[in-house]
Amino acid sequence: MTTATTSPDVGLETTNAVYKRPSWFRRRFNVIATLTVLLVVLFGYVIGPMIATVRRSLSTDPIDTIGVSFHAWGDFFLSNAQRDAIAGSISLAILSVIAAGLLGTGVAVLLTRWEFPGRGFCQVLALLPIALPPLMGVWAFKLLFGVGGRIPFALHEWLGVAAKDLWLQGLAGVLIVHAMTMYPYFFLTVSAALMSADVSLEEASYSMGASRARTWLRVILPMLTPAVVAGALITFMSSMASYTAPLLFQYTNVMTQQIVIAKSDGDMRLASIIATTLAVISIVFLAVIRSYEQRNIYRTQSKGGGRARSTVTSPLARAVITLIAIPLTLVLILPIIMILVLSVTAKGGWLATILPTQYTLEWYAQMFSGSEFWRPVMNSLLMSLLAVGGAIVLGAGAAYIMSRLKFRGKVALDIAIMLPWALPGTVVAINLITAFSDPSPFAAGRVLVGTFAIVPLAYFVRFNPLVFRSSFASWSQLDPNLEDAARSLGATWWYTFRKVVLPLVSRGIMAGALLAFVDGVGEFVASVVLYTPQWVPLSIEINNQNYQGNIGTGAVYGMIQVALVLGVLIVTRRMGTRELAVAVPAT
Amino acid sequence: MDTRTMRSSVLRGAVAVALSSLVLSGCAADSKPAAGATTPAAGATTGAGAAAQSLTIYTGRDKDEVASVVSQFEAKFPQYKGKVQTIIAGAQDNLDRMRAEKSNPQAGFLWGGTQQQLVQAASEGLLTSYVAKYADKIPAASKDPGNQWFAEMQLPEVIIYNNKLLSAAAAPKDWSDLIKPEWKDKIVIRDVSPSGTMRTIYSAMVYQSFVKDNKPDAGYAFLKALDANTVAYAATPEDMYTQLDQGTGVVSVWDLQDVLIGQLKNHHPWGFVMPTSGAPVLLDGVAVVKNKNQDQAAKDFMDFLMEPTMQAKLAKDYYQVPAMEIDAAAKPDWLTKLTINEMKIDWKVLGAHQTEWMTYWIDNIKGKGGK
Repeated sequence: MTTATTSPDVGLETTNAVYKRPSWFRRRFNVIATLTVLLVVLFGYVIGPMIATVRRSLSTDPIDTIGVSFHAWGDFFLSNAQRDAIAGSISLAILSVIAAGLLGTGVAVLLTRWEFPGRGFCQVLALLPIALPPLMGVWAFKLLFGVGGRIPFALHEWLGVAAKDLWLQGLAGVLIVHAMTMYPYFFLTVSAALMSADVSLEEASYSMGASRARTWLRVILPMLTPAVVAGALITFMSSMASYTAPLLFQYTNVMTQQIVIAKSDGDMRLASIIATTLAVISIVFLAVIRSYEQRNIYRTQSKGGGRARSTVTSPLARAVITLIAIPLTLVLILPIIMILVLSVTAKGGWLATILPTQYTLEWYAQMFSGSEFWRPVMNSLLMSLLAVGGAIVLGAGAAYIMSRLKFRGKVALDIAIMLPWALPGTVVAINLITAFSDPSPFAAGRVLVGTFAIVPLAYFVRFNPLVFRSSFASWSQLDPNLEDAARSLGATWWYTFRKVVLPLVSRGIMAGALLAFVDGVGEFVASVVLYTPQWVPLSIEINNQNYQGNIGTGAVYGMIQVALVLGVLIVTRRMGTRELAVAVPAT
Repeated sequence: MDTRTMRSSVLRGAVAVALSSLVLSGCAADSKPAAGATTPAAGATTGAGAAAQSLTIYTGRDKDEVASVVSQFEAKFPQYKGKVQTIIAGAQDNLDRMRAEKSNPQAGFLWGGTQQQLVQAASEGLLTSYVAKYADKIPAASKDPGNQWFAEMQLPEVIIYNNKLLSAAAAPKDWSDLIKPEWKDKIVIRDVSPSGTMRTIYSAMVYQSFVKDNKPDAGYAFLKALDANTVAYAATPEDMYTQLDQGTGVVSVWDLQDVLIGQLKNHHPWGFVMPTSGAPVLLDGVAVVKNKNQDQAAKDFMDFLMEPTMQAKLAKDYYQVPAMEIDAAAKPDWLTKLTINEMKIDWKVLGAHQTEWMTYWIDNIKGKGGK
């Protein structure tokens, strides 16, 4: 590839060789070069830092890394609290998959199968929570459903139920947050599958006398399996790594919270042990899902367009669907409405009432107070852009290799690429600090900790899997015969790439990149450990504002984030709904 | 001005790198845009140190307080103008950062940390010893024998209540009142394990019984009864404030400085009670970080901050109870009126058992008191 792009002269001289067929050597060389870069980046920024953390877990000292001992690991597995946390994390992840899966699949079916007024609008709104500002979003949930929340309070005022019994705390609170923030993973994949589903199978089922219910159970739902599995994978891993929701809803019985407790006790070794265990569990789950995916193939034989949407003709049915869909969508975006309300609530203007008693625009007025207000926004945009640029190069490149080639260790490479997704942001940050607080060959011999670069690097490491997954889906759908056809008609590799390959895969890559970008703009957990005072990210500014009691300012920043996400979603929708769907790992 | 041009050149360089990496995306080769972008940033940082040192302060203090002290410092020492940066985060987060950066320290000065955190940091070799100019005004018990840290202020831990929902007369007067049945589901507590303040308060409760019979059992029983009365554990201080204001709970325990700032500056509806049996008084201190690139600037800042008139000013503006002696005339009104009824605590004994007691609390008491 490199030769083709940088030295066209050489290409001209060897016209025949290039035009007929790429030489065995050239193909081979490019593959080896790309794989090498991939391995170097993975080793330098993902595997290496993880190994450093594993190393620390084996130390004989709780703080410094010296000697080798398994003693602490033994204590870890003997501790009831730690065993409970392992079980707690796994059961939380499984419950989250079930809850988000039911909600996401239900919403997807409701908003995809039937036409009703306001459907397009509902579809955009239903996607909004995918990038609910992580910190501000969970706060909104807590203020709505949690201890002293507005919804239990309103029910108490209206129905006289004891508000205390309705407070969502602990597991229930975390589950609500997970279900309502992670359902888009299912919603996206399932609605894509529904839209591209082969209508002839359904028709065949009916024509052979199957009932409606039987067709749903035996034909339609099984065809959704790959989409559901893809959603389940990403939900499971996100739940395992979830930090803010268990923190705010006081569910300490999970491993991410135990890491924090271990750190406050000054026991970095224990923190490393928990982080390592967490990574291992996620990797095992990833491997199980992968092997399952390879054993079961759900592919239809037919080509061509998807299913025409059923239009409900009966006015009654239409009204019922509208009446379910619109309130449901509103419930889904309730946290965002909450942030909106907070952004216009005066300080102390919302105490023992259902709705605020004093409103103000003073928080929004800050937007016009000067460039200082916008600096965190610009910082986050820039850092996120850099990270996504890197992820497009590496993630999409890796996806190309993985989809085109068969080689030994492919599953291991897949897991290595996906590994950061399975790690909590704190662990990614700690890994990077451990690896880059000394001059490192992977940072051109410089120290990265305390510089601008470390935060974009962390975003890159965290969100690269997202771009990889979505690109992988695009590359897999691209028939290699198209490239061969173009080449056999005399196109150069570069021409083929530009005119044939890129147009077909760019939307998939862009969709993943946009989501990664949005996630980067809202990233909190790793940023808080790594940021430098010159480059304060948006989420840190929100946190600082909340810490100072200025929840209104935090909410305005939250609304800026929401507007940004909305913009990205609209852009992506313009590209076509189907491309948006591949943004989430549809395998 | 200086920083602005630097920033824009960094920005330009970074954008150039980003663009070129996007252009190059055709060939999945050289792909370290993030690492590439460092070059200008890192260059600028080292370049700045040529004349006077730059200084990075890790702090948990109030944002306004930090901004005001730093600008006064820059006015008095113009050579540091534009070179002082601050990171405001929880004391524990700052300690974590310093640990992570041990081999390549980024901070020069640590402004704020509990005594226990400072002792820990000193023992891990993160701090450097420096005898501050007015160190002799600080009592011996409030500074490190090796001069690695000094207490800046005292933080009495008190009982607070929502004064709109509860009259001063009805509020609990002492720790032992908190476990009475009348306070069932009326108490909201900032979650204990991640909070240095709360860990100390709860350890102090256990310590009171431990000092009598060398057993923590009576203290555990007290905390269990307190758990039964606790309606909710708040995830952050701000969360606790909200719940107290909303009336989710009407009573809590917290440090006096935050209570006074909340009450007098941020208009929270709070009152406080100095417990009759005594308030644990925490020390909150400052230290010069072991970092040879910033040591001179950090020492200058230490002397500037730990100067009696500055401490008096902070007492007036930010309700700090200074750890050093200041002139009676310089004391603000609220401080003159305040009588701290200090609980006698041997911090060494408490420190030695804190992790054990708090682990027991997490495993056996939290959320189990009502059962």
